[in-house]
Amino acid sequence: MANFRLNRRTLLRGAGSIAIALPWLEAMGTEKHAYGAATPAQRFLAVYTPGGTVRAQYTPTGTETAPVLSPILKPLQPIMDLKKLVIIDGLDMKSAIGEQHQAGIIAWLSGTPQKGTAYSNGPSLDQVIATRLAAQKQRAKKSLEFAVRWATGKSKGLLSPMNVGNYEDNATFNPIPPRLDPAQIFTDLFGSLTPTPGGDAIIARKKSILDYVDKRYAALSSRLGATDRQKIDQHLTKIREIESGLVVPPPPTVTCKAPTKVDTADYNPRTGLNSSDNGSIKDLSTDTAIPKVGTFMMDMMVMAMACDMTAVGTFQWSDTEAKHTFPWLMLPEHHHFYQHDGGFKPVECEKICTWYSQMHLYLLQAMDKIDMGGHTLLDESVVMFGSEIQDPPTHVKTNMPFMLAGGGGGLLGGRWLKYASLPHNNLLVSILNLFGDTRQTFGDPKYCTGPLTNLV
Amino acid sequence: MQMPSRNIPSMRRALRASALPLVLALVGGCGSTIGDPGGPSGGGTDGKTSTGTSTGTGTPTGAGGATGTTTGTGTGPGGATGTTTGTGTGTGTGGAAGTGPGTGTGGAGGATGGASGAGGTAGTGGTGGGPMLCPDQMVHAGRSPLRRLTRFEYNNTVRDLFGDTTLPANALPAEELGNGFGNDADTLSVSGLLAEQYFAVAEGIATRATTAPAFAQLDACTSSVTAATEDACATTIIQKLAPVVYRRALVTGEADALLALAKSTRASANGTFAIGISSVIQALLQSPDFLYRIEFGVPDPANASLKRPSGDEMATRLSYLFFGTMPDATLRAAAKTGELLTKQGVLAQATRMLDDARSHSVVRFFFDNLLPINSLTDLTRDKVLFPTFSPAIGAAMHEETQQFLEYEIFSGPGTWPSVLTAPYTFVNDALATYYGMTGVTGAMFRKVPLPDTTQRLGVLTQGGVMTGTVTTNQSNPVLRGSFIINKLMCRQISLPTDPVILDQVKIPADTSGKTARERFSKHSAQPVCNSCHQFMDPMGFALENFNPVGQYRTQENGVTIDASGSVPGATGAINGPVELARKLAETDEVHFCFASHWLNFAYGRKLGQGDECARASVEVAFQKSGYNVKQLLLALTQTDEFLYFPGSM
Repeated sequence: MANFRLNRRTLLRGAGSIAIALPWLEAMGTEKHAYGAATPAQRFLAVYTPGGTVRAQYTPTGTETAPVLSPILKPLQPIMDLKKLVIIDGLDMKSAIGEQHQAGIIAWLSGTPQKGTAYSNGPSLDQVIATRLAAQKQRAKKSLEFAVRWATGKSKGLLSPMNVGNYEDNATFNPIPPRLDPAQIFTDLFGSLTPTPGGDAIIARKKSILDYVDKRYAALSSRLGATDRQKIDQHLTKIREIESGLVVPPPPTVTCKAPTKVDTADYNPRTGLNSSDNGSIKDLSTDTAIPKVGTFMMDMMVMAMACDMTAVGTFQWSDTEAKHTFPWLMLPEHHHFYQHDGGFKPVECEKICTWYSQMHLYLLQAMDKIDMGGHTLLDESVVMFGSEIQDPPTHVKTNMPFMLAGGGGGLLGGRWLKYASLPHNNLLVSILNLFGDTRQTFGDPKYCTGPLTNLV
Repeated sequence: MQMPSRNIPSMRRALRASALPLVLALVGGCGSTIGDPGGPSGGGTDGKTSTGTSTGTGTPTGAGGATGTTTGTGTGPGGATGTTTGTGTGTGTGGAAGTGPGTGTGGAGGATGGASGAGGTAGTGGTGGGPMLCPDQMVHAGRSPLRRLTRFEYNNTVRDLFGDTTLPANALPAEELGNGFGNDADTLSVSGLLAEQYFAVAEGIATRATTAPAFAQLDACTSSVTAATEDACATTIIQKLAPVVYRRALVTGEADALLALAKSTRASANGTFAIGISSVIQALLQSPDFLYRIEFGVPDPANASLKRPSGDEMATRLSYLFFGTMPDATLRAAAKTGELLTKQGVLAQATRMLDDARSHSVVRFFFDNLLPINSLTDLTRDKVLFPTFSPAIGAAMHEETQQFLEYEIFSGPGTWPSVLTAPYTFVNDALATYYGMTGVTGAMFRKVPLPDTTQRLGVLTQGGVMTGTVTTNQSNPVLRGSFIINKLMCRQISLPTDPVILDQVKIPADTSGKTARERFSKHSAQPVCNSCHQFMDPMGFALENFNPVGQYRTQENGVTIDASGSVPGATGAINGPVELARKLAETDEVHFCFASHWLNFAYGRKLGQGDECARASVEVAFQKSGYNVKQLLLALTQTDEFLYFPGSM
């Protein structure tokens, strides 16, 4: 498909506050960051990788400001050199209470224990940020959740056992299913932005249809009992989100252009539906396509942000089951097998974690190439990297492998921070603070002792 | 909800407290919830079953209290240190099935004590001696939370509406598992992705429906439409289509609003008549009136203080239950006559529908979700270990089980015990060769007698269930046993969450044992494992005569297989798959569990507290019919929960 370009002015309309804020900040003499410390972060992206890490090959050496990266993190050296990466050690996921993998991914962004055998007891951080940013500006998507090779093993393509990290910022904290199909994501995000004759009319017609549907839900809601009404109201909220996201495509710019479409015919995004509990059903074609598809999906996530279609994203590399293979790494068994199902295999796990670091480098570099008007997309963002456990064989959730990247909210990069067993909810509330929310606790307050003090 | 009614046929007295999930707190971290232990409801000569389970070694003090006047035989494996709140004559024998003359409310056995010696928490006792739960002459309506069409139902419905056979709803995000059938109304949520996909899917369907030649199917007026006749044609289509999509008559103003939508989109730039109609269809398909099963109810004509589903609402209930799609013309007509406002009228329609082959697809869907046969088509196994197995054989096994069930239920004896012990199956040439049967030619499946009923008998011993319950190339009696205990006996034994214990319940790392029994014996040796595995493993061991791909064997690694075992809650030892099948077939708990799955599926949620009367009436009917599956399905439509709403007008 032909690339289209948005005009720079339209783009800056979305980033208006940045354009205004920068000179002001410079006047204030805040020069230690590439991007102003007092300007709240503009975008949040959470990246999940399954199965923790191999601590011995992960933990840096050196000092806070001169860390020496160990093998697993070595691929991220260029970002560390740019002082846009913070390695955060010594945080325990104390709120992760429940099934050993599921509780981890639930608490990861929500900071709450698992609700029975089900879901989260609170909204996830990304959704709270999304609500905040949506109040400032409506975008096509309040948030985007992507997952590569998802719902393997026991979950068999479904949400349960719990494999999502995102929970609605509403009264019921419903899990949010991620988008799985790269071709469909491309059509949804970039297909309709292709300039077509009568594009305005198509949007107008969609608005008319949604307007009718909106009225039906609203009329019905008032006639229902509380429990049923909640379902209908939730649906209505989502329809209104679609409605507000229906905007005439902005004209092209240098920054915002549809990524090159990749042929993903060899990748079955719903192959999880055919999975078996222990990963014995293998889909070699789909597994082989993971690097290609993952890269394509990262491109789309980055461009959705560059085009200001959204300000909040989550990117999952598989689910907590992670029962898929890595043919490109010459690893014929699935990840969970190497974690502990087949006995802990540190060499194989290190290979996998190192590859995830390489992919993370690709993502961060892609974000750092996008000029958002004097600073890069990465500079105005906070990118969080994490997992549901720390140590594959024991599932322990102390000293979790967390990283932040970017410069949003004045995040001060180029460092390796070490804490003494603080709850990870402290990190979650600190990230929220980077977005201008001043609350002092997040998630279950039992497991939060306040924001980390030295991120900025 | 209990309301007096003078018009309700004698409601069976359901006194069975054991319908309440029985929670056992087991020692040593093996949490176990035993849900829905089966037992017939009281009344008549029905006995009482109180199924408790114990891991303890303490002194049993009995279980199974009873009040009541009739006499029956109740089996109640009492808990060690069982507790019961029942009063009466019931007695239980700890650890084993006890026989007591008690009837009425069986006390649920609690469990304390355990092999590790520490005291656990007593289980939830029954409510024996309390007021009768389901007295006659009362209406026991249950909750009916708002339901939404599943992908299966959405696909079927747009097939019937527009002839669209593209299975468009497969593009929707998967349902949450909930009750195991994807239709659990209590776990419904709407993500942004779902709402978007509803739009995209509706757009596709509407575009196809308004393109020739499908367009003319909406109404003949579309083929000769002119500027002058457009509004009339649109009105015709709306009047015809919208009430069917909404499964109710339109109310004042609705047709006008839809026509206004058609006209406004028609008038947009590059708009056409087809675009106008397409917009209407997209709006209809995204409306709550289509996606959700909205019920407001009407006063019961026989008793204005009661509320029941309207004719249209009942037509929808029946139709999605038995056909998995929108009501057909017969149901819509019955909805108008008031026929569906009576219990007998509902039964008449249910009977008609079960005699219609369209009901078979729902039964197929049910079993695809109940039995582990759905992914056989994609199953690959080690080519060296199992050279004759292939995904094609897996697909044939799936078909074998489904064709067998369809025949058995709709044309055969059709009881759940007979499903479990049928001496025949369905095979084609490839599958027959795989099983080592002779004389079957051609790709068509046909009914054949099982050549050796000492090896195979009933659905459990078919290749599909035996292959689908094993997830690796190695035998795993635990997984098979766990399938039976969880899915066929409805005892939920979940994985422990304590990592220390979980660490011990992995597949044994020591693979030196020649047979699975040797390799997995540590489960019975270690008390902490045995507290749960004592229920699963003995059934799994009895199935060891089938290898991981469902082929019969007498030896493993050159050692003769010991296939002895037992069924929890049932007396007597068993040896081998056939004896296991027979034992399960004579265990009431298994049959009530089957009924429980149908109740969950039919009512679109997980039944629990407050549903005792519906459960009881279905169980009684099922038992009285000799556990006939069709009679069970009919009974689902005859409960107060199906026929009434909570609350009065």
